[in-house]
Amino acid sequence: MNDEPPVQTPTSGLIPPADFTTFMHAYQDMVFSTAVRLTGNEAQAEDISQEVFIKAHEHFDQLRTSPTAGGWLKTVATNLSLNHLSRYRNRWKFFSEFRRDDAASDDPEVEFAAPENFFAHVDADERRALVEHALDQLPEHQRVPLVLYHFEDLPYDEIARQLGVSLAKVKTDILRARAALAKILQRSGTAHENISP
Amino acid sequence: MKPSPESEENLERFIRSALRDLPPRRAPRSLESHVFAELARRAALPWWRQNFAHWPVAARAAFLVASAGVVKLVLMAVVWTMAGLDSAQFASAVTPQFTWFHAVAGFAGAFADTFTNTCGAILRTIPLQWLYVGAAAIAALYATLFGLGAAAYRTLYAGRNP
Repeated sequence: MNDEPPVQTPTSGLIPPADFTTFMHAYQDMVFSTAVRLTGNEAQAEDISQEVFIKAHEHFDQLRTSPTAGGWLKTVATNLSLNHLSRYRNRWKFFSEFRRDDAASDDPEVEFAAPENFFAHVDADERRALVEHALDQLPEHQRVPLVLYHFEDLPYDEIARQLGVSLAKVKTDILRARAALAKILQRSGTAHENISP
Repeated sequence: MKPSPESEENLERFIRSALRDLPPRRAPRSLESHVFAELARRAALPWWRQNFAHWPVAARAAFLVASAGVVKLVLMAVVWTMAGLDSAQFASAVTPQFTWFHAVAGFAGAFADTFTNTCGAILRTIPLQWLYVGAAAIAALYATLFGLGAAAYRTLYAGRNP
């Protein structure tokens, strides 16, 4: 992993980079984050990030001075990640359908205390690691719409359009993803402030 | 059990809070070197193996002219055919240039006939029941292999994911 301090990663590209290396340094964390949160796999995310920057290199003459370079990179990273997942899903679709949709959906409902209290006894690095690990554990059909909704700020109908599923399914998957994520976080031992059901 | 709307709101607030301001994940240190290595590899490719947009202007122009020529030839062939080309005249003009093709086609046709006749004779000697049993066995083996594949996927791959 990269041990250098994180570089400012504005999606709006406020600082015009002098060369492609600087350009990569400015945006590589953002591109990688987008890919890894969607795919849930670091190796695949690195491959996708590589492809994104190769495309960026082909358009670098326009991107180097573009104020929307960050948005362009994020869109390309999202689209390539979704394409990758779509190809992978089609390849394994038949087998995947043997799996139960959501084994934990019938579990008793869990309620939480005020959100600000939930991570009260966890430092920022640990909090980040816990949440990222919990995201990685979500099944793809829950993680992808959740990430698109909460990280990419896409509306429900746009998520449904991008994933080629119904609006109702997107809403259900996001709802279940939130519940599953909360349960994973609760199991992770940080639920000091969890209140009784 | 369907959660109450209030519970859903709490849950959404909690998740939004958990994900809010989550910093970007650090890209692997190897990403930069991989990108530059791939760029160097692509740059080292000969021009005709690169993206069409990277071909020399002259090569692109020549390719477009050649493509236009092919399109024109195809269109002319279609027009001639539709206009009712004199088939005898066409054959006499074209056939001498393709005598080798006729020889090869004749040999291939004779070989195909022999092969088909031999296979037909063999099949006729096999009782019909044997063919049914063989087809059923192949179907059963296919289903078994498919089932094993699905079981392996569920056990070795899907079982590792929540």
